[in-house]
Amino acid sequence: MHIVDGALSNPVVIGGAVLAAGGIALGLKQMTLERIPATGMLSACFFVASLIHVPIGPSSVHLILNGLAGMILGWAAFPALFVGLLLQAVFFGFGGLTVLGINTLNIAGPAVLAWLLFGRMVERGTPKSGAVWAGIGGAFAVAATTIFVALSLALTGDAFLPAAKLVFFAHLPIMVIEGLLTGAAVYLVSKIRPDLFTTVTGQA
Amino acid sequence: MMRYRLLLIFILALTPVPVLAHKVIFSVFKSGDVIEGELGFSNGDMAVGQVIEVFDTTGAKLGDAVTDEDGFFVYAPTEPVTHVFKADMGAGHVGEVQMAASDVAALLGVAPQDSGASSGAAAPTVASAPQAEEPAAVTIAALTEDERAAIAKAVRDEMRPLRREIAAYREKNDFQTILGGIGYIFGLFGLGFYLAARRRLAT
Repeated sequence: MHIVDGALSNPVVIGGAVLAAGGIALGLKQMTLERIPATGMLSACFFVASLIHVPIGPSSVHLILNGLAGMILGWAAFPALFVGLLLQAVFFGFGGLTVLGINTLNIAGPAVLAWLLFGRMVERGTPKSGAVWAGIGGAFAVAATTIFVALSLALTGDAFLPAAKLVFFAHLPIMVIEGLLTGAAVYLVSKIRPDLFTTVTGQA
Repeated sequence: MMRYRLLLIFILALTPVPVLAHKVIFSVFKSGDVIEGELGFSNGDMAVGQVIEVFDTTGAKLGDAVTDEDGFFVYAPTEPVTHVFKADMGAGHVGEVQMAASDVAALLGVAPQDSGASSGAAAPTVASAPQAEEPAAVTIAALTEDERAAIAKAVRDEMRPLRREIAAYREKNDFQTILGGIGYIFGLFGLGFYLAARRRLAT
């Protein structure tokens, strides 16, 4: 899921960095005092989630958890995931520093998109229906990320296109797992601490 | 917050087993008179049957190599120029390594020729350099070419698992690194929290 240094052409890298900076600025603006601890916690979750590898056939894919971050944080997912990605790049060498912008866009963009599409339903519904919508949102965020990654690869060169399609199918199991995980997490949160959604998204 | 703490504990409990990343490991080294290389992922999967393209520094293609079932490949250089090895394993997994012109030249036993930089006059004087660098040439002078090649091969075979182990070790993410990263995140957001709180108190 992390694009590495040198895989993309300069215009794609620069364009991604500019858009990611915009998203981070928007996220920081909407990040109130009450929201900071939740943002940090989800940033840490994202940071470790990518170390969990799910073996699939000969290869393996890792969790992303961007859907969960988007569902709870909204636009604040941008700074949260940016920090996670930055530390992953520095500590583990995932992705790279030059492609940090495009990676942030590819992972936080779908998170925000999932929130815009399904966030309302999660907030309004009962814990059960909210969990179902959150699960759909979580799976959607992963699917959208693979499409974003495929797009950024396709923008670099057509030769990447068939390989890019592969990313989508390789991540189908992850979509299922993340959907279930996001649904379960949101269900628990809305049962135990329903105010988390209102305090976090209510002030947006 | 309790839920996140539980989730985090749950995630941390899982990490010690699968702490390997999808990172491309790609290296080339001198091996007798050819270039040998290794390509794989940091989770131990080696790239099998992967085409590796070889370019010079100007981007002109020099040739191809294909990895075997252990992710090894061999490329026989013909030109003493800087070789750039590129592998594209799809899905954004690309690898690129270089072998300097001087190293390639040492393999071929000729003078290095850096794209356009070398002039005819300079070449003969540099030509002796690779031979001069040959270590311990004096002490093993009694050995024949064949014996020397056999020793070199034996040493290479002995070194290979070691080299692989070092590569794997370098890619290892241990628990301390993970905890360190989480510490950074908490510290960073704690700092943000402090600044935001101070701003609120000031008004």
